[in-house]
Amino acid sequence: MSIIEELQALQTEAAAAIAGAANLAALDTVRVAYLGKKGSLTAVLRGLGGLSAEERPAVGKVSNEVRQALEAALEVRQIDLSAAALQSRLTAEVVDVTLPGRRRAPGTSHLISRTVDEIVEIFVGLGYKVAEGPDVELDYYNFTALNTPPDHPARTPSDTFYVRDLTGEATAVAGESDVLLRTQTSPVQVRTMESQKPPIYILSPGKVYRRDIADPSHLPQFTQIEGLVIDEGITFGDLKGTLEHVCRAIFGAERRVRLRPHFFPFTEPSAEVDVSCGVCGGEGCRFCKGSGWIEILGCGMVDPNVFGYVGIDPERYSGFAFGMGAERIAALKYDIPDLRHFIESDMRFLRQF
Amino acid sequence: MLVSMRWLKELVAVDLPVSELVDLMDMTGTKVEAVEVVGSALEGVVVGHILTKERHPDAETLWVTAVDVGGAEPLQIVCGAQNFNAGDKVPVAVVGTTLPNGMTIKKAKLRGVVSEGMNCSATELGVGGDASGLLILPVDAPVGQPFAQYWDLADTVLELEITPNRPDCLSVAGVAREIGAITGKPASWPGSKPEESGAPVTDSITVTIEDPALCSRYTARLIRGVKIGPSPDWLARKVAASGARSISNIVDITNYVMFELGQPLHAFDFATVAPGGGHADIVVRTARACERLTTLDGAERVLAEDTLLICDPSGPIALAGVMGGAATEVTGATVDILLESACFDPASISRTSRRLGLFSEASQRFERGVDPNGCADACDRAAQLIAELGGGTVAPGIVDTYPAIVAPRELTLRMDRANGILGTALDIATVTGILTRLGLTVVTPTAEAEAPAVPSAAAILPVTVPTFRPDLEREIDLIEEVVRVYGMEHVFSTLPGGRGRIGGLTLEQTRRSRIGTALRAAGLNEAITWSFADPADVDRVAWTFGPGEMPVELLNPMSEEQALMRFTTLPGLLRAVANNQRRGVVDVQLYEVGSVWWTAQGRKLPKEREVVSGALAGSWDRPGWHDQEPPLDFFDGKGVIASLMEAMGVERWRVRTAERPWLQPGRSAEVLVGGDVVGWLGEVHPSVLDAYEAAGPVTVFELFAPPIIKAAREVHPFADIPRMPAIKIDIALVVGEEITSERVEQAITSAGGKLLESVRLFDVYRGKGVAPGKKSLAFSLTYRGEDRTLTDEEVAAAHAKIVRKVTGAVGGELRG
Repeated sequence: MSIIEELQALQTEAAAAIAGAANLAALDTVRVAYLGKKGSLTAVLRGLGGLSAEERPAVGKVSNEVRQALEAALEVRQIDLSAAALQSRLTAEVVDVTLPGRRRAPGTSHLISRTVDEIVEIFVGLGYKVAEGPDVELDYYNFTALNTPPDHPARTPSDTFYVRDLTGEATAVAGESDVLLRTQTSPVQVRTMESQKPPIYILSPGKVYRRDIADPSHLPQFTQIEGLVIDEGITFGDLKGTLEHVCRAIFGAERRVRLRPHFFPFTEPSAEVDVSCGVCGGEGCRFCKGSGWIEILGCGMVDPNVFGYVGIDPERYSGFAFGMGAERIAALKYDIPDLRHFIESDMRFLRQF
Repeated sequence: MLVSMRWLKELVAVDLPVSELVDLMDMTGTKVEAVEVVGSALEGVVVGHILTKERHPDAETLWVTAVDVGGAEPLQIVCGAQNFNAGDKVPVAVVGTTLPNGMTIKKAKLRGVVSEGMNCSATELGVGGDASGLLILPVDAPVGQPFAQYWDLADTVLELEITPNRPDCLSVAGVAREIGAITGKPASWPGSKPEESGAPVTDSITVTIEDPALCSRYTARLIRGVKIGPSPDWLARKVAASGARSISNIVDITNYVMFELGQPLHAFDFATVAPGGGHADIVVRTARACERLTTLDGAERVLAEDTLLICDPSGPIALAGVMGGAATEVTGATVDILLESACFDPASISRTSRRLGLFSEASQRFERGVDPNGCADACDRAAQLIAELGGGTVAPGIVDTYPAIVAPRELTLRMDRANGILGTALDIATVTGILTRLGLTVVTPTAEAEAPAVPSAAAILPVTVPTFRPDLEREIDLIEEVVRVYGMEHVFSTLPGGRGRIGGLTLEQTRRSRIGTALRAAGLNEAITWSFADPADVDRVAWTFGPGEMPVELLNPMSEEQALMRFTTLPGLLRAVANNQRRGVVDVQLYEVGSVWWTAQGRKLPKEREVVSGALAGSWDRPGWHDQEPPLDFFDGKGVIASLMEAMGVERWRVRTAERPWLQPGRSAEVLVGGDVVGWLGEVHPSVLDAYEAAGPVTVFELFAPPIIKAAREVHPFADIPRMPAIKIDIALVVGEEITSERVEQAITSAGGKLLESVRLFDVYRGKGVAPGKKSLAFSLTYRGEDRTLTDEEVAAAHAKIVRKVTGAVGGELRG
């Protein structure tokens, strides 16, 4: 067999081997077997040195053609096998995408905190600051300075929690106490008015306590959000406009808001604020007891007597104050039938919000 | 307060539909709590015609009647009344009817005779006080007609919420005046001067007020020769519509006048207060030590010394303004009546009724404040009615002890102030109209009286406030009345202007809100638990107070279990964990940010400090299709704190072993920030878990919030990103169990020099190959040069030095 024939036989044999390579590793073995340092084609090419000068060009040409052909075939086969390998890997890696995702669920904010935060944000947008104070308070800040008459029923031990006074003062020894759990966050307002000159624009959220038995609509410990504005030229119209904005921001722009005259010792004139019922839209239903309105908060212009206690000139300044219960607002907004859910720490409740 | 529309319409010409009137009252400050249509409730009671009346065969006092109620057949009804004859028309309750007293009529046998209904008395139907026999109806009453319709019972009763500042509205007349003011209709009610005869009242009654501060006025009249009996229907109906029971003509009249005019009255049996001599010597005074009085309800009451009393020479005869005495009560045998119409101090009445738990229509009105200038009119009105309905004669004159006459209050209202506070532009006519309709007198400036230079916007109006409005004391009170009646819905809404104010949270507030954000990101859920604590919690968790410190005690807790303010959030969190577990929820991850309290002898206000706390029980989640969820333990708690500190930017914090009685020894630690202990962390002691019926392990922590907030940082300095390659070498050291990983790590770090970039513990091993009492700690050390690629030789030298120093420092050896 001539060298050329030998080369051609080698080519046929290699082509078959390439086609027969089942995977990339087998193909590489084929490549090494023919084109590697010790490969058969390489051996043939090495033998070219022993040829005559006449034979050399022809053989050289054929051998180059054979090598190029094999390299091309290897490359084609390589591409095919790579594609096939990728395909089989992809097939093997198919998953059921409906299996649950892997996660560490983030924790949740208590609905009351969330409600307070939302309302704080609304008022911060209106230029208010947040003021805070202690839960255990003096009678003076909770009642007296807020124009509450000495015989007001709210001051009785059936309505207000009193705390043992350890000063050893005569009244304390007699079993009376002027230390109490605040029944409203208004003491914060008084403390603010004492320590700060107008203009005052504050919101005071916080826990308050009243001696009610816990039931679906009462808790002895709940959360009050009160506001106070004192500035020159503050009007009842400002109070009305502010609360209309706030109620709509909380409950939705489509709600109607109304102020109904009422009575509170620390404001004059005073009003209760109703929002149109979200269930019936104001038509009257069981939820709103047929009235079409839901009572949300109490408010009024700061009583001049209160200004007197804190040394602000009522002829120069006027102001308004308002208060709302975070539990009630959250219950209305999220349709929660029983306020006790807020205090029970049931994970199934907490994780909902 | 209950107000009958029918009665109201007698005093003011209301022509609005009830629903519109209710809206108008709501929007002017008299909230209508309920609207009840009464009288239609007597469903099943019809006009019946008694056809026959025969003696019951087996009972002397019973009658068997045949009654036509308009049905196909007459009903056979057994009846015990004696005051009727065959042919009478009477109200009949047919089978199935429920009467106002709750009794439901059934078909029944009475002494063997079937009865198919009941013939009714006025009392049984709640339409009168006469229970002595059947209510005999006029002969022309149409048989079968519903009784309520025939008797014209239908009425609408409004239940009003009267705010504490409006005592004047605790009467039909007052409400009529209010409705007149808001509707613009005139309101009026009958005045009266009783016809008088016989010896003057002054011959029979004298009144002495010992303390005029507690009783500003006392009027009394004497009505002689009264016949006590049931009330006429109109009176019984009005009293019933106002929420009182019809008792007798005299008692009903005193109630009627109270409901009408708002002045509580009391009727004494004159004979019982004027023993023998026919002269009553009434003294109004406070109780003396150990005095007693048996009140109308039969209870003997020991009187506190400041209790205001009505007395005769023998002692107390009534609790002034609260309840009469049993001994001087009007009875069926009463002939002469001493009628009291007085004005008592609100605070005194309030104290007495609270102390004794007695709350009456009278005490409620006195507590709010009764108009002293209305006493005599009410006394006259009642005396006249008693004479009319009880057949007596009114003794001439009225005893009127009124030491200091209360005069109407004079105020001024500045128009510019009113409009300035309200944000309105009301004119004088509007303001004057409102105040006048409310019964106030306004002197309006006339063109001549007022200097032309003063525009009406700045006018000052003198206003006289009648004494039935004690709430109107100041200009602002008048402004309130103006906006109330004018309508708040007509005030234009604005927002405060104000110069250059900036809203926002303080740095502390922002940082505090970051605490919550960090804990939620770490997987905890916010809880709000009671601020109260059980005194038993102190022992349950074996709490240790600081020297001289003690818990804060409530004087009037809701229950013994909530008698303290919490001194730690631990019991609340444990109860939350236990409650969840009891309900089948085992994975519990809670945090709370809230206050705890403690105090000390000599303190008025307690110390109040904010803490951030957490409780972890179960796992982060139930095991999933891919993940195992290991039970939460100490290191999950520590991880939460690490996340918190990182989020707050607190760098200098650490944890060290420390015991707490409520934590499991060996699994408890203190948390330090900047070298100060700020709280504790650990797994709850098994015996504490038992006390709260919680299943362990439960990991808890409680940290004071202020030091964390104080140490927090917002801005963290930039550290350059390394560009040179790192070389990592692992090292495993076998050390004694008593050597903490923190100590080994510190030893490595301090020996490491500049080339050692970081140390990371990646394995703790005990068991085969490690001697008992020892553990193997494996660290991954990263070496890096700041400005060059390190050579193998450099690193090997540094590493060898570390191994040598560390093994020397902690007594460990390199693990093979």
